[in-house]
Amino acid sequence: MIMTSLITPADQPALATAEAESFLTRGVEKTVLANGLTVITKELHDKPVVASIIWYRVGSRNEELGQTGKSHFLEHMLFKGTEKYGKGEIDLLTLKNGGANNAFTWLDFTAYYFTFASDRWQAALEIEADRMRNTTFAEAEFESEKQVVEEELRIGLDGPWEVLENEVWATAFRQHPYHWPTVGWLDDLESATGADMKAYYDKWYHPRNATLVIVGDFDTDETLARVEALFAEIPAGPNAQPLRITEPPQRGEKRIVVKKETPVERLLIGFHAPPVAHTDAYVLQVIESILSTGRSSRLYQRLVERDQSVTSASANFHDHIDPSLFYFKAEIKPGFALQGVEQAIYDELERLKHEPVAEAELDKARRQIEADLVMSHEEPLQQAMLLGQFETIASDERIPVAGRGYHYLGTLIARIRAVAAQDIQRVAEQYFTADNRTVGYLIDTEKEQAIAAV
Amino acid sequence: MQQSSTQPATRPRLDVERIELANGLVVLLSENHATPSVAFKAVVAAGSRYETDDKAGLASLVGEMIDEGTTTRSAQQIAETVEAVGGKLGTYGDYQESGVVAMFLSQDLALGLEIAADLLMNATFPEDKVQQQRDRRLAQLKSRLDVPRTQASDVFNDLVFRGTPQHRPSVGYDATVKNLTRDDMVAFYRRFYAPNITLLAIVGDIDKATARAQVEAAFGAWPVASELALPDVPKPVRQREAIEQFVTAHKEQINIFIGHVGIERRNPDYYRLLVLDTILGSSPGFTSRIPRILRDEMGLAYTTYSNITSSAGVDPGRFVAYIGTSPDNLTLALAGLRHEIARIVNEPVTSQEVEMARDYLTGSFVFHFQKNLQIADFLADAETYALGFDYLERYPELIHAVTVEDVSRMAQSYIDPEHLTTVVVGPLAERQ
Repeated sequence: MIMTSLITPADQPALATAEAESFLTRGVEKTVLANGLTVITKELHDKPVVASIIWYRVGSRNEELGQTGKSHFLEHMLFKGTEKYGKGEIDLLTLKNGGANNAFTWLDFTAYYFTFASDRWQAALEIEADRMRNTTFAEAEFESEKQVVEEELRIGLDGPWEVLENEVWATAFRQHPYHWPTVGWLDDLESATGADMKAYYDKWYHPRNATLVIVGDFDTDETLARVEALFAEIPAGPNAQPLRITEPPQRGEKRIVVKKETPVERLLIGFHAPPVAHTDAYVLQVIESILSTGRSSRLYQRLVERDQSVTSASANFHDHIDPSLFYFKAEIKPGFALQGVEQAIYDELERLKHEPVAEAELDKARRQIEADLVMSHEEPLQQAMLLGQFETIASDERIPVAGRGYHYLGTLIARIRAVAAQDIQRVAEQYFTADNRTVGYLIDTEKEQAIAAV
Repeated sequence: MQQSSTQPATRPRLDVERIELANGLVVLLSENHATPSVAFKAVVAAGSRYETDDKAGLASLVGEMIDEGTTTRSAQQIAETVEAVGGKLGTYGDYQESGVVAMFLSQDLALGLEIAADLLMNATFPEDKVQQQRDRRLAQLKSRLDVPRTQASDVFNDLVFRGTPQHRPSVGYDATVKNLTRDDMVAFYRRFYAPNITLLAIVGDIDKATARAQVEAAFGAWPVASELALPDVPKPVRQREAIEQFVTAHKEQINIFIGHVGIERRNPDYYRLLVLDTILGSSPGFTSRIPRILRDEMGLAYTTYSNITSSAGVDPGRFVAYIGTSPDNLTLALAGLRHEIARIVNEPVTSQEVEMARDYLTGSFVFHFQKNLQIADFLADAETYALGFDYLERYPELIHAVTVEDVSRMAQSYIDPEHLTTVVVGPLAERQ
């Protein structure tokens, strides 16, 4: 499965700060085995289930041109068998025990999860301990799975947004690996070999590059002993270093047009934006909420209610290891012009720069972020995903220890509450500039479109 | 895994209280203190199944319009009130039902209920909003067809459910939506939005006694519709011929739906058919036959499945098998799906398959009760289909009783491999 968006962080309103902050991190314990495997546990006994998820700090960010899509392809291959669990056996075990399993890959990470009833969940540990190093890569399996991955890529191309998204990211990032989509380029997939895949696996799938998160109805001491017994003997692995590629500053607006048979036109605008846990990233989360969360948000009020020029419009910002994009999407109503909607979005960004946001509106945005953090993480699996995600992407030494790794979630609410009206003006001024943006239009194949200068 | 299949599955537990207000509103309450939040769902038992072909899209537009203004609040005031406390509230109208779905922090439940009651009782359908939402819907109808799987599913329903309201998409058609008026909407709303065909399920970090009082305060004054007469809805009949339809669309993949009319949720064979679904085309990973063979072994698709139970409702749903694949695979994919459909009818399944399916269904039951909204959905279903709140105890027994012979009998009774509707949408120009 390819991720194209993730639950955005957020917690809750009028609760005391301490209580709100502790909702996700309360009771969390972190253990690091001698071989470098990070283990995060959180007991929750209100439901008889356990979610376990293992995160590898490897995604399309770690790939190179000509071999794109390997991280995601590898994710598929980890279901194709080891000596101990033949092809299909992982799924059969999941079936017999009434569980669920899946995996997902995105720019910065790959993760595999299981959920089981709490009287039978430990098979998940045995499977993960085994397939971390023992996946077999049978050539026949590799070729048939290649077709499956290519079909997954085609589903994306047939969807309403992916073609345009791919072009905008590829244009905004010319050096950094965020240039290509997680699924990879079709030509690269076709030329991939089992040997490439094995080498990539041998580089990244090791305890020192992994975080195991377990949330639910289990006993921590007993579980840690089991984890130790299963994982401790696996060697730490090579100290593989990610590519250190910094996208140079963009020196002027970039504009692209993509043609596809489409009944409606679509607009995507991306502004280069800071990485996870950057001071300005918290401000951008609040801006995202002001612009686009709910029907009282500014983009809804402007584009859907007032101009009535779109069927939908959104502002989107996700946390990533490296600087990424804050982007806007709009689906244009027939009879309206892309240029007009684009200009309306810029008008709203100018407003952010020039008019301080009223305290009530700012407070609404903070509450929405906080409440969503509670309401979107009821399940142990959802909590395990969030803890593992930030342990994986917020690990850089530039991030203060108090907010590094999963502790990011313990400080998030305070950081969001600290965002002031003048921060919003400053950050809008800094990032939402013409030189910093890439603008993409999706138009129908038949249409000749003159791109007016805006 | 060492788990023996005879060990009883971990069972979910629910403490449910059911009350009925004097106006007929059924209220279902369940406490879940896992997080400081609450979800609720108000379900009006009326939807597009009660509209006529020439008004297609009406119930759905009404459902979307009830938060566009009430006698005391503007659309913007409604949104501001909900969102200022970080709440989420949506309104809808679909095939079988309409209503409000919401999530709030637990301290804001009274506010949420007050707003929901206002929308259900006092919506005004302002003329300018009617115009605006109608235009937006017309654009959405165009954009919707940009998803080839949706397009194929619509064509399939149109053929399989011909002669019944289910043949239409609930969102309506361009030609019918254009002609819907404010009068149509007000008439539908006045006729059907009534407490005596509505249920309200509230689940989360609540105190039941307090919630009961809040519900009474918000909904007590909703007048009962004593004259309410519900239209008769014609039931679909399973086809007696094989039907094929190919539609050309300029896409990367072809999308295939094969099937025919399915079952109602109240059908007592529902549980036996759940086991059949698990064996044939709906189970975790790629364990059931269709995904295992067509995806994992043949590499034909990323998505392929089948089911008959998941669309079962007040009216019969559909038995359907789906695959999305490259145009080159058309012949293989069609043959593969048809072969598996015929095989489960013509050959007995194995006892091992039945045993694993039973273990899966009973073992995974607990996962249907993880989130407040999921539990609220269950309570609504339990009320709608008279499942009884002892259903959580009975379900494992119902599943455990299913035998190999039952599954074969189900396949023979409910699946007809000789008389299927096949719809293919995609880049087919060369073929035709």
